[in-house]
Amino acid sequence: MTGHLLRRLAGMVLVLFALSALVYALFYLMPGDPARLACGPRCNTIQVESVRGQLGLNDPVPAQYWHFLQGIAAGHDYSTGTSVQHCGAPCFGLSYQNDQQVTDLITQRLPVTGSLALGAMVIWLLLGIGTGLLSALRRGGLTERVLTLLTLAGTATPVFIVGLLLMMLFCAHLRWLPFPTYVPFTEDPEQWAWNLLLPWVALALVESAKYARLTRSSMLETLAEDHIRTFRAHGVGERGIVGRHALRGALPPVIALSALDFGTMFGGAVLTESMFGLPGVGQLLVRSVKAVDLPVVVALVLVTGFFVVVANALADVLYAVADRRVVLT
Amino acid sequence: MRQLSVISRRLAAASVGLALAAGAAACGPEGGDAEGGSSDGKPTRGGTLSVLNQQAQSDFDPARLYTSGGGNVPSLVFRTLTTRNRENGAAGSKVVPDLATDLGTPGKNATVWTYHLKDGLKYEDGSPITSGDIKYGIERSFAAELSGGAPYLRDWLVGGARYRGPYKDKKGLDAIETPDEKTIVFHLNKPEGEFPYLATQTQFAPVPKAKDNGTKYEEHPISSGPYKVVKNEGDGEHLVLERNEHWSAATDDERKAYPDRIDVRSGLDAAVINQRLSTGSGKDAAAVTTDTNLGPAELAQVVGGDAQLKKRVGTGHFGYTDYIAFNPKVKPFDNPKVRQAIAYAVDRTTAVNAVGGSSLAEPATTYLPEQASFGHTPYDHFPAGRKGNAAKAGELLKEAGYKDGRLTVTLTHDTTKQDEQGPEVATAVQDALKRAGITVRLNGLEHNDFSDRIHSVGTEPGLFLTGWGADWPSGGPFLAPIFDGRQIVEDGYNFNSGLLNDPAVNKEIDEINKLTDLKAAAKRWGALDKRIGERALTVPLFHPVYKRLVGKDIKNVVISDWTGVLDVSQVAVR
Repeated sequence: MTGHLLRRLAGMVLVLFALSALVYALFYLMPGDPARLACGPRCNTIQVESVRGQLGLNDPVPAQYWHFLQGIAAGHDYSTGTSVQHCGAPCFGLSYQNDQQVTDLITQRLPVTGSLALGAMVIWLLLGIGTGLLSALRRGGLTERVLTLLTLAGTATPVFIVGLLLMMLFCAHLRWLPFPTYVPFTEDPEQWAWNLLLPWVALALVESAKYARLTRSSMLETLAEDHIRTFRAHGVGERGIVGRHALRGALPPVIALSALDFGTMFGGAVLTESMFGLPGVGQLLVRSVKAVDLPVVVALVLVTGFFVVVANALADVLYAVADRRVVLT
Repeated sequence: MRQLSVISRRLAAASVGLALAAGAAACGPEGGDAEGGSSDGKPTRGGTLSVLNQQAQSDFDPARLYTSGGGNVPSLVFRTLTTRNRENGAAGSKVVPDLATDLGTPGKNATVWTYHLKDGLKYEDGSPITSGDIKYGIERSFAAELSGGAPYLRDWLVGGARYRGPYKDKKGLDAIETPDEKTIVFHLNKPEGEFPYLATQTQFAPVPKAKDNGTKYEEHPISSGPYKVVKNEGDGEHLVLERNEHWSAATDDERKAYPDRIDVRSGLDAAVINQRLSTGSGKDAAAVTTDTNLGPAELAQVVGGDAQLKKRVGTGHFGYTDYIAFNPKVKPFDNPKVRQAIAYAVDRTTAVNAVGGSSLAEPATTYLPEQASFGHTPYDHFPAGRKGNAAKAGELLKEAGYKDGRLTVTLTHDTTKQDEQGPEVATAVQDALKRAGITVRLNGLEHNDFSDRIHSVGTEPGLFLTGWGADWPSGGPFLAPIFDGRQIVEDGYNFNSGLLNDPAVNKEIDEINKLTDLKAAAKRWGALDKRIGERALTVPLFHPVYKRLVGKDIKNVVISDWTGVLDVSQVAVR
C-alpha cells in the first residue's frame, strides 16, 4: 500500500512537471503580446519594452520557466515599486495583467469552485446512480424508456440553457430563490446553500445524465455475471443481490468517472460559473487565457492537474473498497 | 481614444466600463424625465446601490485606469483637477472644475497651465489634499509597474517621453511645478487648448506619497471622493464602497452621492444582468449596470410590452464610430476610386441590423460622432443611401480600370461574435459589396491576433473593420491619433491606418490645438473631418447606441453626452 502511494506520488510530480512544461511551450504559440496587453494599446515601444523587462519576459524562455519552477519550490521576492514583498512557496509568480500574486488569485476562488463542485457532485451522484439503478432494474419497461429519454435530454442540453431556464423559473417568475450570488460558507452557511442551490442543480442535471447511463449499463453487465446467477440459484433475495453484490460490482466505473469529473471541476465549471456569475476558478481561467496571462494559466493547469491526479489516486483506493477483487500493490 | 476592439482585457475591465457602456449621450430614461428617473419623488440620501456588471472593475489604481472623464465607478473614489459636467445630454459634455477652482489658466500660448486647489479638500483619513499629491499621482503613472493609462501625459508634458516614474527617478518630473500646497503648474511641449479635458482623467487624482504601496495600492486606494473602498475582492470583481465622511459636498458641485453604500459585482452574464434588473426583486430593485446593453430580443420584449419597464430604459450615445479602414499602401486600395467604389457600395442598413438594429446603432456617414461637442459637421461625400449605390460603385470600378466592373478583395475582421468588428458586420459588408460586383473574401482573426495585425504598419491588411471612441468629447482625440502623420508608429502600435501624413492636415491639427476656446476648436475639428473624409481613407458605418435598464427603485438617472451611460454619482435609491 505504501509503495503504491509513493509510486503514485512520484507519478503525480512527473505529470504536473510535464503539464507545466507543455503549457509554457504552447503559450509562446498563442497570439497576443502579454507586455503589450499589460501596458495598454496606446503605449509606445519604449513603454512596452519597459513593461516587458519588469515582467521578466526578456529572459530566455528556459530561464523564465526555471524561475517559475524555483518560485513553486522556494517562493520568491518581488518588487511592488515601493517595497519588496515575499511570495511564499508554492509561489506561482505574479499575474502579468494585474501584478497580483497568482496564489492569492487562485486561493480566493477555490472555495467558490469547491463549493460548486462538492454540492453538485452529491446531487449528480444521487440522481445519476439512482436513475441508472432504476433503469437497470426496470429494463424494457415504461420507466426505463422515460428515464432513458430524460437522461438523453440531460446529456444534450447545455448547462447555460438549463441554468437560464432555472433562473427564469425560480428567480424571475416564481421568485422562490434569489438570483445566485456567492456567499462564503464561513459568512452565512444558510445563504451559501440557498444561493448555490440553482447552480448545483443545473450542473447536476447535466452531469447526472451520463452517470445514469453508465450506472445502468454497468449494472446490467454485473447482473448478467455468473456470480449473480449463482446467488440467485442459492435463493438470495433480489434486494440483497442488488444492494450487496451487484451494485458494488457496478460501481468501479462510476467511481473512476467521478474522480475524473471532480478533479476537472477544480479547473472550473466554466460555463456554470459564467452563467451564474460565480467568481470561481473557471472565470479566472477564461479571463487569463484571453489576456495571455501565462503565470495564471500555468498555475490553473497545475491546480487542475493536481486535483485530477489526487482524485484518481483516491478512486483507486475506493475501487479496492468497492470491489474486493481489486488489490493495491 | 480608445479603440474598443483592441483594448486589452485588463483595460476593458478597468475602463471600458465607461466606454463600452457608454455610448453616450443623450437622453436619459425613455419616457421619463431627467430629474425623476424611473420613480416619483425627490431623490434622498441613504440605502445601498447595487451595480451589476460583466467586466470587473480591475486595476483600481488611478495611475492604471484608462478612462474617459475619470470613469464611472472610479469617479466615486478619485476626484481630479477637472471633471465632466454631470448633466443630461449636451450639457454633460462640458468640462468643469473638480478639485481645482477653475478650468485652469493657460499661459505662453497654451503651453503652460496653472491650477489652484479649492479650500477644505481632504482624503478619507482627514488629511489635507495638496498639489504635491497631484503631482505625485501623475508621476507614478509613468512607472512601468503601473502602466495602462492614456498616452497624453507622456506626449504632452515636457520630458514626459523619457521619465520613468518616481520609483526609478526620485527627482520627479520637472514639467510639473508646485510652488505652494495649493498651486500646480504644467509645462507642455506644444500648445494644448484641450488640457482641461485631459485633467479629468484619473491620473490627475491625488495620491499621498506616504500611502503609496506601489502595485498593491489598488487594493485600498486612498479616497478623495465621496466614497471609500471597504472591500476589493478578486481584482475588482466585488467592490464595496461606503461613504467617505471626510468628503465635503460643499467642495464638490458634481457628485450627488445619495446612497450610503455601493456594491459593485461583476463577472455576471449579460442575459442574467438584464433579467435581474427587469425582475427587480430584493436588492435588484436598487440596481443598475454600467456596462450591459439590452440585447435585440430583450429590446423587442420591452418595446412591445410592459410600459413601466419601458420607462426604465435609458438611452445614450457615446462618441464612437465603427468604420471600414483602408491601407492605401496595399493594392488595389492605393487607387482612390476603388476606395470610393466601396464607400458607395456599403449598405448601412444591413450593417446596423448586424449589430442589433436601429435601436442599438445609427448609420454614420461622418467619421466624427454626431454630437455638437465634437464639432460634428454633416457630410456624405459618397452617398450610398440606405441600401448602397451599386450602380455608382460599378461605374467607379470601371474608371479604376476594372473593365468588367468586377473585383475581388479580402476583408479582415475579428472573430469575436456579436462584436462591432465581428463576423456579423463583416458578412453584412460582404453581401452589400457583392451587389456592386465586388467579391469579398472574409479573413477572421482571433481577437489578439486581429488587434496586433491591424495596428502594425508591417502587417496591416488592406481592408478591415475597426472603430474609434472618444477619450473626451472633442474632435482632437478623435482625429489626431488617426490622421496626424506624426503619430504614425513604424515599430509599435499604429492607429493611423490610412498612413496619412499630409503637412496641411498636420498643420491644421496644430493650429486647432492652440485654441483655448473649445467651441471655436470644435467647429474647426468638424471642418477638418469633412476635408479628410473626401479622401475615402475610411468608410464610416455606424455609431453605437446604448440601451440600459435600471432597477425599479432607481431615481435621478443622468445620462450625459460625454459618457452615454447612467452616472452612478447621481443615482439615488430612495
